[in-house]
Amino acid sequence: MPYDVLLGQEGKKEFLLGNEAVVRGIYEAGVSVASTYPGTPSSEIGDILYVLGNRMGIKFEFATNEKVALEIGAAAASGGLRSFVFMKHVGLNVAMDSFVSLAESGVRGGMVVLSADDPSMHSSQSEQDNRYIGKFVKSVVLEPSNPQELKDFIVAAFDLSEFAGHPVLVRSTTRISHVRAVVKFGKPREKNEWNYRKNPSLVLIPENAYKAQESLWQRIVKVSKSKYANYFNRTYGSSDTLIITSGSAYNYVEEALSKLMKEARILKVGMSFPLDTEGIMQEVRKAEKVVFVEEGGPFIEEQVLAECALQSVSKKFYGKSNGMVPYSYEMDVDRVASSLSRVFEVDYEPVQSAGGAPNREPVLCPGCPHRATYYVATLAMRQKGIRSPIAPTDIGCYTLGFYDPYRLGDFCYSMGSSIGSSSGFSMVAKEKVISFIGDSTFFHAGIPALVNAYHNNHNFLLVIMDNSTTAMTGGQPTPETSPPFNRVDIESVVRGIGIKDVFIIDPYDLKDSLETFKKALSSERLSVVISRRECALEADRKKPLSELKVFQVNQDKCTRCYNCIRNFSCAAFYTEEGRVKIDPELCDGCSVCSEPLVCPFNAIEVVE
Amino acid sequence: MVSIVFAGVGGQGVITVAMIIGKAAVMEERNALMTELHGMAQRGGRISVDVRIGDYRSAIIPIRSADLLVGFEELEAVRNLGKLRKDGIVILNRRRVHPVSMTIRKMDYPDDLIREQLEKFQVIDVDADGIAFKLGNKRVANTVMIGALHSTGVLGLREESIIRAIQGSLPDKLWEVNMKALEEGKKIVPLQAARTK
Ligand code: SF4
Ligand code: SF4
Repeated sequence: MPYDVLLGQEGKKEFLLGNEAVVRGIYEAGVSVASTYPGTPSSEIGDILYVLGNRMGIKFEFATNEKVALEIGAAAASGGLRSFVFMKHVGLNVAMDSFVSLAESGVRGGMVVLSADDPSMHSSQSEQDNRYIGKFVKSVVLEPSNPQELKDFIVAAFDLSEFAGHPVLVRSTTRISHVRAVVKFGKPREKNEWNYRKNPSLVLIPENAYKAQESLWQRIVKVSKSKYANYFNRTYGSSDTLIITSGSAYNYVEEALSKLMKEARILKVGMSFPLDTEGIMQEVRKAEKVVFVEEGGPFIEEQVLAECALQSVSKKFYGKSNGMVPYSYEMDVDRVASSLSRVFEVDYEPVQSAGGAPNREPVLCPGCPHRATYYVATLAMRQKGIRSPIAPTDIGCYTLGFYDPYRLGDFCYSMGSSIGSSSGFSMVAKEKVISFIGDSTFFHAGIPALVNAYHNNHNFLLVIMDNSTTAMTGGQPTPETSPPFNRVDIESVVRGIGIKDVFIIDPYDLKDSLETFKKALSSERLSVVISRRECALEADRKKPLSELKVFQVNQDKCTRCYNCIRNFSCAAFYTEEGRVKIDPELCDGCSVCSEPLVCPFNAIEVVE
Repeated sequence: MVSIVFAGVGGQGVITVAMIIGKAAVMEERNALMTELHGMAQRGGRISVDVRIGDYRSAIIPIRSADLLVGFEELEAVRNLGKLRKDGIVILNRRRVHPVSMTIRKMDYPDDLIREQLEKFQVIDVDADGIAFKLGNKRVANTVMIGALHSTGVLGLREESIIRAIQGSLPDKLWEVNMKALEEGKKIVPLQAARTK
């Protein structure tokens, strides 16, 4: 079985992805309950638990959104079980409301929340630094630097959480969660017994919340005064230049120093809230120059500077606050070296990359049903004389509709924002509003917005692109997945709200879809098109070899009208000296391009 | 200590190959790090993977520090040349995957640019797809690449570790043809070296 290595004996060493190390960590920590909503760079944790959860004795489920996931974890922890909830950084925004309360209430069983941040936004809408959220809600914040620490810190985080009765936030980043390294296994522990007692601090009515607030600070002080205060921190090297660093940024410091042929004393912070100010100030006092190298904002930097102000300690400081270290985007050896070159007053100019390679925008897969949906939607609008619609879109593979040739994507903030913004647009805009959302995103945050739109009588066309999977994060199940789960039917949900104009299409059937879209566009009130067709990648996994087909362009029939590449634009098409061709390695055999609505000359044929 | 960049397009198996090299290193009790980057697209987007064997902490290879660049696609190889040392080696499968934005504008594949950029480096051409086709299974093209990569000698890994790592990562039923592909791949570097002499 895949992932079986994660069940290995104590002392074994494996080459693990950070996210795999996380799973091993919660197994060793004796976690009983885990939940998530998938999001890169944390998705693999859920994929693995989905397969291995039972064998690890962990009740795991994909929740409809991160807030639900957090509440599942909180309930388990309130009864003494260890629980683990994980998500990408922006997912914590969704869970925030309950996260604040969780820190206030405290926990009985250990509870750890993992946030996988994404500096440089490789696959996200922002690079928010969730250590600030940790401090804002006043949970403990831990910052591992590599897969081994990710695992070890998680195990220790559960001890710490049970010791203090307080939740712990473990902050990872792309270059930890998505790094593979050697990880040495520890011993799995016994799980806690369910041991529920009624507890008023779980009911945060004002009177109880008032008391919880007091106990919250006591818990933080308890951590500060315990052995955990500097348990996760490490200091080494001798120099009067002190580099305070943490997380993935730490990984670049030594190589950067050796590039500059310099030395420094390094203070690696593993727990950045509450911060061991006493230990850190001892180091700061000894130093002449103090440099802060962090992934994200000046989180530790600001806390240390505040402490220096309190204690009237004045040093030469180098960090993000004074522009010595860059504020945005992820760190690497070159960026750290170029920051440190200012500290040591030497030259360091990383040689620029070889340029000139034309961009390769991300594309929808060959055979992707979203392409067909965008194609017919555009065609229908053109035929109805709708020139420039406003097209809010949402988070999923279909966000790629933003790119050429579809250009359907005018607003995309966060999960579910397509529908909320469509209400806003249709309230004031003169343009036609047509918005796009995927099935998983619809369940995650779309439903309340759609209730709002119907209730307030907004007029727009919502297209729900239902491929029955959470495709962009690797094909996780959705509330439609069944068995073994109960299937939630999108059409029934939409009709249940009261919406009358509901249309179902199979986007592979272009002709029928076009007519249906035109009908939907004629509606003078809120209407919904559900475009139903399984994700091409998922369908491919199930297809028997005998059903694999490949299409090609018959050059004798092709008139070079270029409609196929200009407007439909399957990723398998390419041109060579003006000829349209199909890359047989890429073609998925969906046959959509062979329909007359794409190639009016029937030039695209199946390879016999 | 050795740093290798693997570059290609989503769906080409770039990550699997990189992982085989990393695993082989770990089997020899060496330290290995690997990190990958891919964008939003599930297929057809650009992918690059950095693998470092030895006493490193940073999984990301700094600019101009890679010893080898393994290109699974021409344009993606060129895109990552900035990571390669001046005297680094490019191992290249001459495969082209046209970016959609170029196709929409009816642009041909940028052969001139690719030639120009690659000229500055030592390039080992591997007709991995062709060899795999001859061996009767297109799916072993990447094993040909591994063979070529191994025979540069730069990795400093034992062949048996690489074979064991392949065993753990690729389907068993392709075992024999995979071993043949590895052998064919191993012939390429000595052959091209002989030719340039
Ligand atoms: S749509 Fe048909 S005729 Fe027109 S360029 Fe494409 S293949 Fe040729
Ligand atoms: S059949 Fe046509 S549309 Fe479908 S994947 Fe192949 S080239 Fe693309």
